[in-house]
Amino acid sequence: MNAIMKVELKKHLQDKGLVFWMLILPILFTILFISIFTAGADNATKQEVIQSIVPGYVVMFVFFIMISMVQIFIKDRDKGMTARLASTPIKSYYYLLGKWLPFMYIVLIQIVVLFLFGKLVYDVSLEEPLVLLMLSLFITFTVTAIGLAMALTVHTENMGIAFTQIIALGGAMLSGLWIPFDMMPSFMQTIGRFLPQYWAHQSFQDAMAGTTQVSELFQTLGILFAIGLAAFIIAIIRYPYFLKRAVK
Amino acid sequence: MLTIHHVTKHYGKTKALKDVSITIPKGICYGLVGPNGAGKSTLIKMITSIIRDYTGDITFNEKKLSDKSKQKLGYVPQDIILEEDISAISNLQLFGNLYGLKGSQLKERINEVLTLIGLQDRGKDKVFTFSGGMKRRLNIGCALMHNPELIIMDEPTVGIDPQSRNYIFQMIEELKKAGKTVVYASHYMEEVERLCDYVAFLDRGEMVENGTTSELLQQYAVSSICVKGSNISVEELKSYGMVSLEKDVFLLYTEEPLQAMEQIISYCRQNSIEVERLELVRPRLEDVFFRLTGSNLRD
Repeated sequence: MNAIMKVELKKHLQDKGLVFWMLILPILFTILFISIFTAGADNATKQEVIQSIVPGYVVMFVFFIMISMVQIFIKDRDKGMTARLASTPIKSYYYLLGKWLPFMYIVLIQIVVLFLFGKLVYDVSLEEPLVLLMLSLFITFTVTAIGLAMALTVHTENMGIAFTQIIALGGAMLSGLWIPFDMMPSFMQTIGRFLPQYWAHQSFQDAMAGTTQVSELFQTLGILFAIGLAAFIIAIIRYPYFLKRAVK
Repeated sequence: MLTIHHVTKHYGKTKALKDVSITIPKGICYGLVGPNGAGKSTLIKMITSIIRDYTGDITFNEKKLSDKSKQKLGYVPQDIILEEDISAISNLQLFGNLYGLKGSQLKERINEVLTLIGLQDRGKDKVFTFSGGMKRRLNIGCALMHNPELIIMDEPTVGIDPQSRNYIFQMIEELKKAGKTVVYASHYMEEVERLCDYVAFLDRGEMVENGTTSELLQQYAVSSICVKGSNISVEELKSYGMVSLEKDVFLLYTEEPLQAMEQIISYCRQNSIEVERLELVRPRLEDVFFRLTGSNLRD
């Protein structure tokens, strides 16, 4: 597993596209939207908007890791690497873990960098860093598990990119990452409550403000873990089909 | 060493392999020969445990294939399957690690393999900077990292320059000298003739014949006559034996080549046909395949 993980990390570190999607684009969006939404606003409103936009864009952009996950798995499948590795003594679950863990590291680094950017540039408050870290770990698990399930399910890269856009942008819209959740129509709010983005965003905001309720935190962590686990189970179910396709 | 016992494999309704049985003794180079689609790659994927859903048995050292037997098998796939964005050393390291090599043992083996494949000066370079021949050699090197007893090569010389091809031949001869068993799948008959001690002919998923190269030549190969000329009637040639067309040259297979040559000359004289080429060709494995299946390998 470590062998695959090392190679994957080496490849990711060289991937400039990944740096763009995961760090540069979210930073640019954060700057742009903060400047739009705070233009002419008083200081209190400004700070309120910033406290919502920074975690909102963190949550939205972590989902873009799914594009890279789909690309890597489909490339391996079509190039024959998956089949070749099946001829070696490595167990299939080590192969999956070896591919999956580097993406978890990347998402974690992304979250830390984006929050630090918010702190350094906009002086957002990060009152409960341990809670933030815990939430980061759980959302990382959820997002990468969904990415894994998708990578092992879709037949083409384009399908994967399309689904990622739907999940990332559709989820952002319905979860109140773009506009305050309370201002959204009630049917959208109902749908939003089924999405991991909503729960992560709400809990990130609470942890930043230092107003986390233990019961609410556990509710969020439980929901994120359950969604991640469901996605992981789908990935496990899909893996034999993925391997069959890889062998052909 | 390796026994394939009544193996059958379906892809949906298509039978890819039909009741194939082969025994491969230790220390030899065994050729799997057949045209594209004959079932060579399918059989190789079964031996390497990439394909597991088939009927029949495959045993290695008299034991059923398992994760333990994978440790003794090296697989060189038909396609070049390498991580292009990392160095040759990192690729070898990856495959060494997968087979449990670590530390100084791994470093030592990487150096040995780099020397064997002739890439000792390019080890630190990224694979995408390599030529096709160099990638092919590295592809083989990855399969040799764990010093396997049995090396399975699926068309390892496809699409490379003659220099790299010769280098690969030398490597295989070195492996044979070192007592390794090599399974060599190819549709290049001249390669198989040069490298392999035993040959199995596969066609449309069935094993047509197998045996030592010399036995097969003795048993099946007949001399052929190479004929080239304008307006030569194929029907006329067919009256002397089986005829195949290779590029713009007819190959006539007959038990009585000299007699057939005389008849062709007199036919051409009578019909004022100009003959550009008429020569006797020594028996080749390609001819054996043609005799057994009625088709050319590259049809």
